Amino acid sequence: MLHVPTIAKRELTSLFYSPVAYVVLGLFGFGTALLFLGGFGPGAPAEMRNLQWSVLWLMVPLVPAISMRLISEEYRSGTIEPLMTLPISDTQVVIGKWLGAMGFLLTLMIPIALMVLVLSINSDPDLGPILVGMLGLLMVGGLYLAIGTFASSTTQSQIIAFLVTTAVVLAFSPLAVMLARAGWVADKDWLKHALFYINVFGQFEDFSKGIIDLGRVVFFISGTGLFLFFATLTLQSRRWR
Amino acid sequence: MIQAEQLVKWFGPTRAVGGLSFSIAKGQVVGFLGPNGAGKSTTLRMLTGYLPPTSGSASIAGHNVLTDSESARASIGYLPESTPLYPEMRVEEYLDYRGKLLSMPRADRVRRISEVCDRCSLSHIRRRLIGQLSKGNRQRVGLAQALIHEPAVLFLDEPTAGLDPNQIKHFRELLGELREKHTILLSSHILPEIEKTADRVLILKEGELVADGTTDELCAKVHGGPRVLLDIEADAQAVQAALGSVQGVREVQTTPHDGWCHAEVAPTGNDALQDKLVQALAHKSMTVREANHRKPNLEDYYLQLFSEPNPAKARATA
Repeated sequence: MLHVPTIAKRELTSLFYSPVAYVVLGLFGFGTALLFLGGFGPGAPAEMRNLQWSVLWLMVPLVPAISMRLISEEYRSGTIEPLMTLPISDTQVVIGKWLGAMGFLLTLMIPIALMVLVLSINSDPDLGPILVGMLGLLMVGGLYLAIGTFASSTTQSQIIAFLVTTAVVLAFSPLAVMLARAGWVADKDWLKHALFYINVFGQFEDFSKGIIDLGRVVFFISGTGLFLFFATLTLQSRRWR
Repeated sequence: MIQAEQLVKWFGPTRAVGGLSFSIAKGQVVGFLGPNGAGKSTTLRMLTGYLPPTSGSASIAGHNVLTDSESARASIGYLPESTPLYPEMRVEEYLDYRGKLLSMPRADRVRRISEVCDRCSLSHIRRRLIGQLSKGNRQRVGLAQALIHEPAVLFLDEPTAGLDPNQIKHFRELLGELREKHTILLSSHILPEIEKTADRVLILKEGELVADGTTDELCAKVHGGPRVLLDIEADAQAVQAALGSVQGVREVQTTPHDGWCHAEVAPTGNDALQDKLVQALAHKSMTVREANHRKPNLEDYYLQLFSEPNPAKARATA
């Protein structure tokens, strides 16, 4: 795991060289600022729950845009070859790339941190739930990025990687909830439970209330780990083909 | 240093490499030749551990590329075809990144980056973005990254593709310096290039090894052997008669042009015949404008090899 930070650092730096990064940063900053302003004023509750829920939606199209190039770009430009002929394992490459994207996700959160600051200057918010909510957002983002890393490892087209990631991310939240309410699912208890379980928005709910539930944390960490494992397998699969 | 045993690679129903075996001793510079699609790049990818062979095995410096992959990969430097690099990185930044991933300590990296930049004439563009470099300079960055950790073995896939003649000359000089420290396997389409630099030549055809030997050994196999080329002021028949009577001449081919006659003489042995031929012509008062002894080169052998049916296939169908 020695080389993970090196790969992560390069990935983060190169993200900042791509125009996509600035579009995502801009849209995200602008979107969150508008949402924050909407709920900011005399008499409004000094909390960020509504904002965090909206951010959750904003992340659906924006996080896949961060992860889409991670491995696809290496395939397309051929740099995958000098990378994979280095004496480092595929796992390190995948984790390094995901971690670099996580670094970018943290950058995205800076405007929200500033809003927390503005909120605490103007009133006296309960920081606990706000910080736990932010942690929840990072967990969701981490899972989305892992899904994105996996999608990116399957194709050399960034657009396909983006679309597949968005589709899977949607399947993990709104779609899962809708399906769970569908007639033909209603009488199959196990399926309903499974669909509710994989619902990312549902898993996030406790975080937004300021509760750190170990089960929820395990859900996000194991989900992230699973998709990173899939990405590693895909990267290795060139050796079986 | 490099050992390949019965390497086979199938891509779906297509066989890219079929049963390739060779071994390259330490310090050899080996040229890897063959037409496009002969399996050169695939072979290099298998040797560098990027692609596993369908069957067979390979080892680098005693490490099996499949079972002991990371040790094998640590002892190679690889310049892939078309030199893929990160355009958004600076030259020295990229070299440092590669050095780190090769577990080189900081002091070593600093020293080696300066050394390889010197060696590959990159010192004046160390701070430039790779994306802004010319093809030739990118190629040098690719070479520099392959050299950064002083690997025992260097794999260079068409290192001179896209370079101008001046850069090719520099590259040849560089290769001359590198051969002291590294075992080198380089693929190329430029035959005179290989002829000048390689100790040994491997030629691939349809995924099979069809020739293996030093340039001299291979050139000796060219049908017809050496030739003498003459340009004579006379008509073709007279030239035929004059040259055909000289002892040691096996065959004379003449092509008349503008009142002159171009003659190609094949001697029976390997002796240089031009003195005798010129004397014979002078005897007949014919003016000779040019007389050259031409030894067959690698290109002759290569063309001869690829104008014949595949010897391995011919054997199989017989």
